[in-house]
Amino acid sequence: MSSDVVICLFASYGYDRAAQGVAGAGRNLAAQLGGSLHAVIVGPPEEITTSAVAAVADTVTVLDQPELADYQPELYLAALQQACKKLDPAAVLLGSDTASLELTARLAARLGGSPMSDGTALAVADGAIRVTRSAYGGKAEAVFELKKSPAVVWLRARGFEPAEPTGGKASVERTIVELPDLVPTRIVDRRVEETKGIPLEDAQLVVGGGRGIGGAEPFDDLRQLAEVMTAAVGASRAACDEGWAPPSAQIGQTGKKIAPELYLAIAISGAAQHVLGISDAKAVCAINNDPDAQIFRHSHFGIVEDYRKVVPPLIDRLRVLTS
Amino acid sequence: MNPADATREIGWNISAIWLMYVLLAPTMAVAGYGLWRHIRLWRCGQPALRFDRPVERLAGLVKHALLQMRTARQAYSGGFHLMVFAGFIVLAIATTVVMLDFDFHTSIMKGRFYLVFQSLIVDLFGGLVGVGIVMAAGRRWIGRPRQLIYTKEASWLLALIFAIVVTGFLVEGWRIAATHDPWAAWSPIGNVVAGLSAPVMSESVLRSAHAGGWWLHLLLVYGLIAWAPFTKLRHIVTAPLSIYTGNLDGYGRGLKAIDFESEAPLGVASLEQFSWKDLLDLDACTECGRCTAVCPANTVGKSLSPRDIVLDLRSLMHGKAGELLATRGTTPEEEPRIPVIDQATAVAPDALFSCTTCAACLEACPVYIEQLPKILDTRRYLVMEEADYPQTMADAITSLEQRGHPFPGAQFSRVDWADGLDVPVLSEVEHPSEIDVLLWVGCANALLERNHSIVRSVATLLRDAGVRFATLGREEGCTGDPARRIGNEFLFEQMAAKNIKIFDKYGVRRILTCCPHCFHTFSNDYPALGGNYEVEHHTTFLAELVADGRLCPSPSTGQEVTFHDPCYLGRYNTIFDAPRELVRSASGGAPVEMAANRTNGFCCGGGGGMAFAEEPPDQRVNRERARQAVDTGADVVAVACPFCMTMLEDGAASVAGDHELVVRDVAELLRESVGTTENTP
Amino acid sequence: MRTLVCMKQILDPDMPARDFRVDASRNEAERAGANLVPNIFCENAVETALQLRDATGGSVTALSFGTEEAEDVLRKALAMTADEAALVIRSDGPAPDALNVAKVLAAAARKLGDFDVVMVGRESGDWGVGQTGGLLAEELGLPMVALVDGAEPDDGGLKMRRQTDYGFDAVEAQAPVLVTITNCEGNVPRIPKTRDVMKAHRKPLTTWSVDELGVAADEKVAEVVELTVPEKHVTCEFVEGDSLDEKVDAFARRIADAMGALG
Repeated sequence: MSSDVVICLFASYGYDRAAQGVAGAGRNLAAQLGGSLHAVIVGPPEEITTSAVAAVADTVTVLDQPELADYQPELYLAALQQACKKLDPAAVLLGSDTASLELTARLAARLGGSPMSDGTALAVADGAIRVTRSAYGGKAEAVFELKKSPAVVWLRARGFEPAEPTGGKASVERTIVELPDLVPTRIVDRRVEETKGIPLEDAQLVVGGGRGIGGAEPFDDLRQLAEVMTAAVGASRAACDEGWAPPSAQIGQTGKKIAPELYLAIAISGAAQHVLGISDAKAVCAINNDPDAQIFRHSHFGIVEDYRKVVPPLIDRLRVLTS
Repeated sequence: MNPADATREIGWNISAIWLMYVLLAPTMAVAGYGLWRHIRLWRCGQPALRFDRPVERLAGLVKHALLQMRTARQAYSGGFHLMVFAGFIVLAIATTVVMLDFDFHTSIMKGRFYLVFQSLIVDLFGGLVGVGIVMAAGRRWIGRPRQLIYTKEASWLLALIFAIVVTGFLVEGWRIAATHDPWAAWSPIGNVVAGLSAPVMSESVLRSAHAGGWWLHLLLVYGLIAWAPFTKLRHIVTAPLSIYTGNLDGYGRGLKAIDFESEAPLGVASLEQFSWKDLLDLDACTECGRCTAVCPANTVGKSLSPRDIVLDLRSLMHGKAGELLATRGTTPEEEPRIPVIDQATAVAPDALFSCTTCAACLEACPVYIEQLPKILDTRRYLVMEEADYPQTMADAITSLEQRGHPFPGAQFSRVDWADGLDVPVLSEVEHPSEIDVLLWVGCANALLERNHSIVRSVATLLRDAGVRFATLGREEGCTGDPARRIGNEFLFEQMAAKNIKIFDKYGVRRILTCCPHCFHTFSNDYPALGGNYEVEHHTTFLAELVADGRLCPSPSTGQEVTFHDPCYLGRYNTIFDAPRELVRSASGGAPVEMAANRTNGFCCGGGGGMAFAEEPPDQRVNRERARQAVDTGADVVAVACPFCMTMLEDGAASVAGDHELVVRDVAELLRESVGTTENTP
Repeated sequence: MRTLVCMKQILDPDMPARDFRVDASRNEAERAGANLVPNIFCENAVETALQLRDATGGSVTALSFGTEEAEDVLRKALAMTADEAALVIRSDGPAPDALNVAKVLAAAARKLGDFDVVMVGRESGDWGVGQTGGLLAEELGLPMVALVDGAEPDDGGLKMRRQTDYGFDAVEAQAPVLVTITNCEGNVPRIPKTRDVMKAHRKPLTTWSVDELGVAADEKVAEVVELTVPEKHVTCEFVEGDSLDEKVDAFARRIADAMGALG
């Protein structure tokens, strides 16, 4: 029975906060299992990344063939499958990026293991891996026991504490994997949305707009407020469905899960699916003209008013207070 | 001179008077043809049963065509219209008398009759026509109210009628002067003309002027007759027709029945799918603009205009007359042959889906045109055939289908309102058919937290009065009213059928509703689907309990209360007094009335699915109504509908005022004044 | 293009939170009086499939593995103009896990014939685990693209857009392929026309039992061992003030404090 843990990282993200969280989760789980922590980096990593990973893992495998320079699902799947098979772990951990979401189930199937998603805590019980995650759109919390080995889990990465350095430096091995020549799917273009400032998931201050904003133009006005607050801008699913904000700004069950110091919800009703995305926020405040809005049940402070009457003077006040 | 011999020579000074008859023929032909052109278009519409109950219809004709009771509601325009109308009636009688004496050699126009009626009364009423036209012209050319539309045709009609009056008096005056009529004083206006003319016109001039004026007057009158059917003046024929064939069953029952088994299109998308009455309506319109003036959506700046819908459809009908005639006897096609819905006209989806179905337009129309059913017909097409309508309304519909209520995201179940109240549920009652009444809560009361207090008040009062009641608890599902008003008749029938099954399972006979929409739908829409129950609204039920002494309010004083009439209780079902009685019992005095009240009440903006719509902040009907309530100076506005409650509270919150306007349901007011608490044994 | 859309019927995610209760014996939510609704991402998938068919011709088949009530979900897909539907009936016992669902759907799919595209929602509104799509792809031996929100026909295959955490990818795929669908303004499920709702009851809907498909229900990948409703302890402080200005000021101060605490 293996007791090792593999963490899968992608070179293009570097050793960002998400990778640090995955590593931290991996280290803890490996300790619980009494095994080693192996890191697999797919794609050509920067030196700084490799060193950082080597400082927290027991071994580092780098898969940096030219075909793996950019993420392609079929190729990365094949690569991880081979690397993981060789390492024969009890658990394979991934982050909450798109590639991890896409690969987890298929990787698990190919390794003969159990997939799971959005894990917020990991435990070992009777030799089986247990994953805690939210359920029913945030109304409940579930603990899943994974029946097959290895457990292949993508985590709510930023919710885990970063790994502590081991004190040593792991060996870094570059491995060649067999890759298919022809692949049936190909990412032909990557469009990166212009995000001014910090990405949503890493932001300490976030302003979110909902259905009540009422239009694309007023939604843009929220950016002014965000600027004064040095905050990132997110949106509820309803606002994204209307086209007022790009899907990458969506916060919620099927969007980003954020963990800022303060989240300001504007004209958002507070449905459970949205609240799921902000449950790790330290403080939540809300502007909504409906005193019965659900969002107030999750807020620390709030104001019951039409946001159109609040936001302009709020911007002015904040400018003064923060100057 | 013996008054008994008083008369005048008909046709004096007119040679070749036979020409009058010759000219009459083409005049009548043109007029007849003009009328026929419209009649044949109406006949292209679908069947409608509108010739039953002749006594009731004749009564309507007397009230509204003859006595013009609705036209008289606006004093100024009603006044001058009545003058012109009455004047022409009198002149028509006078002309008939002349014809009888001239062509049939009777001797009516003689003696006292000639003096009093044919001379004096005719002169005065002729003058009244002139005054009326001047008043109308003043309004149209100087006042220029927004309510009217300004066409050349309207101005020419005024000018023509005025010219007829003027030439009439000139001809009379010149005859009087030239014949030295001994009875001149009995024709006061003609006499004045004579007095002014005689000094400056010699007898031969008078004669020439008289003859010329006589023929001119004749041509003008013939011209008017021939031209009338081609103008809005055709309403002298079409208006009585539309009044006679008007809807006798109340505003809620003007909707067409749909047979889902047939292949006929659902709703109306093509002109010929309207009924012949709908098409007649288009030609009955006098362009008075009252419907648009009272429309709450129009008042707050939305694009909806009932008058313009009628007039744009009228233009369509006249413009596509050929195509319309070609549809007779054919089967309906999938693609509308004469599309009615057009973004570029008043019959645009934006306008159609701004309608709250308040029926103010129906109430205002002096000639019984049915604007609202046409709006609902086109909505039905857009909702059911095209599935193309506002997303928020679609979300309400989806929620109805999935959850049995139109409030997606509601955080309450059907029974949460009753927490701690121990309300009996019908499924747990031993003999369900023995309860006095089924208390029907309604979605807006159950799912919106603010309204829990309304139905709790009703339940508590019922308990205090010893009424044996129960609710359906979780078995209650929406009546289907929002689906029907938004336009999804199919879903409405499904929901109604479901409820009727449940009612029949328990043997329900009497239903007490806490919402006028539920009340209206059960009373008016369910019978046709097999659901026949005694239905009451909580206002009438509670008022009766108070009157019977089963509830004893001790009225509080101090607060000024005004009452907002719910459209579906007031205008639709003529219940105005019971809620006012409750206000009086509860507060010690009758409510102070808003200007737009009772049958002329101004909608809260929540009907027709509009409670679920998103509206631009500067075009909110509820804000306007809240403002009207604030303007009365009252502290409290009493309501009797959970939608009105929600809309007005929201409206009140955004209206700046010296003091906060509080919105309460009459049941809440009554409960306070009865002094009962929820725990009073 | 022949498309298969897999759909799931779930407990209404918009049920009032206070009605949500856990059935501890089954580690599932209590059904109680809650309504069953189609999973929204499944409906986004149906919409995407229908748009594809309307552009290129072909057909859309809707498939579900659920109780008898799941027929409602399939009838809705048919009302949206899907061409045919199939339901594999499961008993009312504890819900199957993702692998079991994938095996059953795969068996049904094979029985329904060859498909160019298989579409599934990215995850369901109840558990939200979102692994069934990938497991189904492996069962059917298909490549997979996740989080797609738009697809066009492209030379026998598909050209797709998919959402990423940084923006969008354009992806090209040869048929056959499995895609998981996520929501966007372009795939809001169409409102069915009444005529189509009426016709939906006459469109072909096949039902099978799990046994008929010959799928063994033994293998599990995961099991819920604990399901709890977390306690919430947040009370909202509504800012005080006699005027709007005062309230906004109080609100602004609290925000500024939070900002200042960050340094």
